Amino acid sequence: MSRSEKRTPEEDQLASLTHVVKSSELILTCGPGGVGKTTTAAALGVAAARAGRRTVVVTVDPARRLADALGLDEGAASDQPHQVKGVTKRATDGELWALMLDAEQTFDRLVREQAGSRKQADAVLNNPVYKAISGSLSGAQEYMAVERLHQLHASGEWDLVIVDTPPSRHAIDLLEAPDRLVGFLSHPVYRTLTVGQRTFAKITDAASSMFLWAVKRLAGPQIVEDTVQFFRSLATIEGGLRDRAREVSALLRGDDTSFVVVSSPRAEAVSEAEHLLDAINDKSFPLGGLVVNLIHPEPTELSEADEQLLADLGDGPLAEQLAWHRELQSLAVAERLEIASLEKLAGAAPVIELPLLDVDIHDVPGLVGLADRLV
Amino acid sequence: MGAVTEQPDASWLTAATVMVVAGKGGVGSSTVAAAAAVAAAREGADVIFVAVDGRPGMGTLLGGREISDREQTVQRMKGGGKIRARSIPAEQAFGDYLELKGVGGLLRRAASSASLPMIAAATPGLEHLLVLGKVKEMEKEAEADLIVVDAPPAGHAAPFLRSAIGLSDVVKSGPILDQATEVSEMLADPTRCRAMLVGLPEETPITEMIELANDLGDDLSIDLLPLVVNGCWPDRPGLAKSPAMAARSHKLKLTDSAKAALESAASFGRSRLAQQREQIARLESQRSEPVITLPRLATPRLDSDDLVTLADALIGAEFDEDMT
Repeated sequence: MSRSEKRTPEEDQLASLTHVVKSSELILTCGPGGVGKTTTAAALGVAAARAGRRTVVVTVDPARRLADALGLDEGAASDQPHQVKGVTKRATDGELWALMLDAEQTFDRLVREQAGSRKQADAVLNNPVYKAISGSLSGAQEYMAVERLHQLHASGEWDLVIVDTPPSRHAIDLLEAPDRLVGFLSHPVYRTLTVGQRTFAKITDAASSMFLWAVKRLAGPQIVEDTVQFFRSLATIEGGLRDRAREVSALLRGDDTSFVVVSSPRAEAVSEAEHLLDAINDKSFPLGGLVVNLIHPEPTELSEADEQLLADLGDGPLAEQLAWHRELQSLAVAERLEIASLEKLAGAAPVIELPLLDVDIHDVPGLVGLADRLV
Repeated sequence: MGAVTEQPDASWLTAATVMVVAGKGGVGSSTVAAAAAVAAAREGADVIFVAVDGRPGMGTLLGGREISDREQTVQRMKGGGKIRARSIPAEQAFGDYLELKGVGGLLRRAASSASLPMIAAATPGLEHLLVLGKVKEMEKEAEADLIVVDAPPAGHAAPFLRSAIGLSDVVKSGPILDQATEVSEMLADPTRCRAMLVGLPEETPITEMIELANDLGDDLSIDLLPLVVNGCWPDRPGLAKSPAMAARSHKLKLTDSAKAALESAASFGRSRLAQQREQIARLESQRSEPVITLPRLATPRLDSDDLVTLADALIGAEFDEDMT
């Protein structure tokens, strides 16, 4: 990139994610869809492992070939860390492990951990309503991504946990997921439903009985029984869930956590990334860096003399070449304006610019190459 | 390239009243949905553009104000066609649904936005179903000639459409089951609803497009419209030559600096075009639907003129000339 040529070595150090990779205990990559978030998360993992750290990368919905490169096939065991081979060679290197987020299994594990007894856990896990929502509850995937991060971080087995956040047009959901769970558990209807051991028929609180009546009218009586049972059984583990949500919320704001925002220079991605950067600033989450990916190359400019030489071309291959040169140049210039507006929001955090590559990264050597550009 | 029609043909756009436009995040499916709305409205159709997970800026791109839950007319065409735009928040869809079912004020209050998250939690996929249910009502009432549904992005398009089927596993009776059944019927009826999938001419997006096509087309039996590959560079055969060779056809001799400058763009162009051809060929070999290519516009920020260009290309009007 032409920018880095003008930088001093100290600035180069600043403009890389070396510090983030070497000193963070948690890294979250977030940003709009389709900009290479998962690949960036994996490459940061490679960089960290090569810097001597025992690292695990949690991916969400990786493209198939990237999943293959990380050794994550579609088997059920992908929810558990697998070591990624071929990343580390030197004795001073750490290790890279990877796993694929499974929202349902993470939710199950959380319930088992928080339940006072196996019986309590089973009551929740076997409830049909729980089974239906654990995978699809709106925001569940976002919350489970941060929950998995907490599980791995708390296990003490890892120097660094990297979480690739779920694809979301509203990446903010992730940041607010723990707070939303607390909000849900504090909802007055939920509170009345779970207080005491009254049966459904005896619930007299107006709001709750209306809620249940509404559900019954709309979805039939069976689901009402299941719902009441679900909320009741959830109540036994509620305290734990609430504490956990608070812990996770604090963890996300901790000194050892870094958010890395990934975007492309296309306007729709940029406006989402800007929104995300604003939210990160507003809610005082620690921003570790900004990666702008998929940037078109800026062609070498034509000199004025050459422009004149090429001024009045008729149709033909050279005219096509000239038109293409102009088109690519105007695109590159426009993209750089978009990038500049993003950079302003990144404040003091390092900004890494990455070119659009000819082929997608889908193997370990490709990730190693990207890692070298990031740090 | 692709199955491009010889004559501009916009009739397929309105073959079914509901057009669900879906693609992975970042492939421009909202823009393509907007272009489809423009292309149909130019032919005189009365179009409603429904933003499910409204990306900011779509309303202004279509020529109006920011899209909200209040329907607004964003564009009127000379031939009498027009585009209205709106979003469908789940809360509002729920309220409308209750109204429609003639359920009284008590239920409405119970189902006020405060407890919607609770009800939604108790009935997974409900929010999606309510939105699709609203679209189904609009279709049933014949509120427009074409209802373009800009579906949620990324991994959310399939669950969005699957919500109706998934719900019937949990909900065994009552109006929600009825709603789910009616929505499933609409989705499976090619005279009422079809899906248009959008991708980019790159490896991962094409793979994901094929997966989405298998998912929606084969598993959910939703009829698929032509597959749209967005962001294609126009083919420029002149790029195949070196700048020096190209100059010879013009009886010109280039300076070394001009050669270097042109080559710096040409080499990138050659490899992108090669990749593009390869990926479109792969899509065509794996799916039987026709493939439409839309041009890559050399700007990161689209405006309403760009939308017209895309609408032209969608019905095979202008882009062809560029491609030959």
